[in-house]
Amino acid sequence: MKKKEMIFSGIIIIAIITIIASISISQSVNESLNLDMGQTHGTVSTAMGSPIFGSVSAPITIIEFGDYQCHQCYNWFHNTKDLVVKNYIETGKANLVFVDLAFLGHDSPNAAAATYCAEEQGKYWEFHNLLYISQEGIDTGWANSERLKAFAFSLGLDMKLFDSCVDSGKFNKRVQYNINEAKKQGASATPTFIIVNSNGQQQKLVGSQPYAVFKDVIDSMI
Amino acid sequence: MIQMIKLVFADYRYIILAAAIFVGMVIPLSIISEFIFLEPYVIAYIPNGGEISFFLILVVSVLSGLVLTMNVYRINVFRTRHKKKIGGGLFGSLIGAVAGACSCGPIGFAVISTFGVAGGIATTFLANYEIPIRLAAIAILAYTYYATVKSLSVECKINS
Repeated sequence: MKKKEMIFSGIIIIAIITIIASISISQSVNESLNLDMGQTHGTVSTAMGSPIFGSVSAPITIIEFGDYQCHQCYNWFHNTKDLVVKNYIETGKANLVFVDLAFLGHDSPNAAAATYCAEEQGKYWEFHNLLYISQEGIDTGWANSERLKAFAFSLGLDMKLFDSCVDSGKFNKRVQYNINEAKKQGASATPTFIIVNSNGQQQKLVGSQPYAVFKDVIDSMI
Repeated sequence: MIQMIKLVFADYRYIILAAAIFVGMVIPLSIISEFIFLEPYVIAYIPNGGEISFFLILVVSVLSGLVLTMNVYRINVFRTRHKKKIGGGLFGSLIGAVAGACSCGPIGFAVISTFGVAGGIATTFLANYEIPIRLAAIAILAYTYYATVKSLSVECKINS
């Protein structure tokens, strides 16, 4: 009798553990369910893109299609972005969404996926910025798995969570969705920007253009 | 050397040819390398860190104009059958042109989309080694220029 009870209680314990594990796995795998799948800016689906940088209610949205290994994206980040942030994003006139067009080398999609692992811990933009500050040549190892983990460590992320996220390839489909969305929007170079205003009017800018161009375009759309 | 330049460019048609080659290289290369943008309006812009790249484009374009024109002159005036030097000039110009052209821009995107992994490897190489490749192109063009001037002076002596 005792033996039967032990087996029975063992089965119940295993069942409980299985249920708890499956709930937690489904929550982590279906993280995209927490995203607003209907989020669009103009004709662009930004549901799987970055979190919005700046005021959600800003009248202008700047969508950047970029690659972490692209040196022109690096140029834009270091030469133009600061002024756009200072004069438009910090003033509430515009916000920014980054959508991956990770096509340069095999480390690009991995770097893009890692940014979403950082997003899980609330540090998407810190990780994004760190990647552009640390950029070196394409596939030279600067954005391999070990370096991505080192970046996460330097930002003080929970390494157990981050490592398992990166190693599992959890966000690969999200990155691929973004690449497909970029192609659908006709982006064939990085960086490509689509600037959208509250009326749905859109303007595309291709390349690492100077601040003066962004100023002219944004001012004409506000 | 200056004498040879004076000799070739005494005929204004060669000045036009050299200028056409220079402009035909510097404008497209500047567009591809994102120093000139055509949309939403035409604007030229050299970002911080892009100075060396732009300078190398200028040098490649100037040397290409000079070397190719001088070789066209050699072929026209002396009816020379030795076309190795113009080949060297074209080779140097081509190398100088492709370096850095295939990175994040539409050409790189098209190459990777069309040729897959092979395109990716080629693009990566050309993007990562843009400056050394352009320097190699300049070395080829400089050598071809030197060889052309030398051969022009020999051909001039023979003919005079």
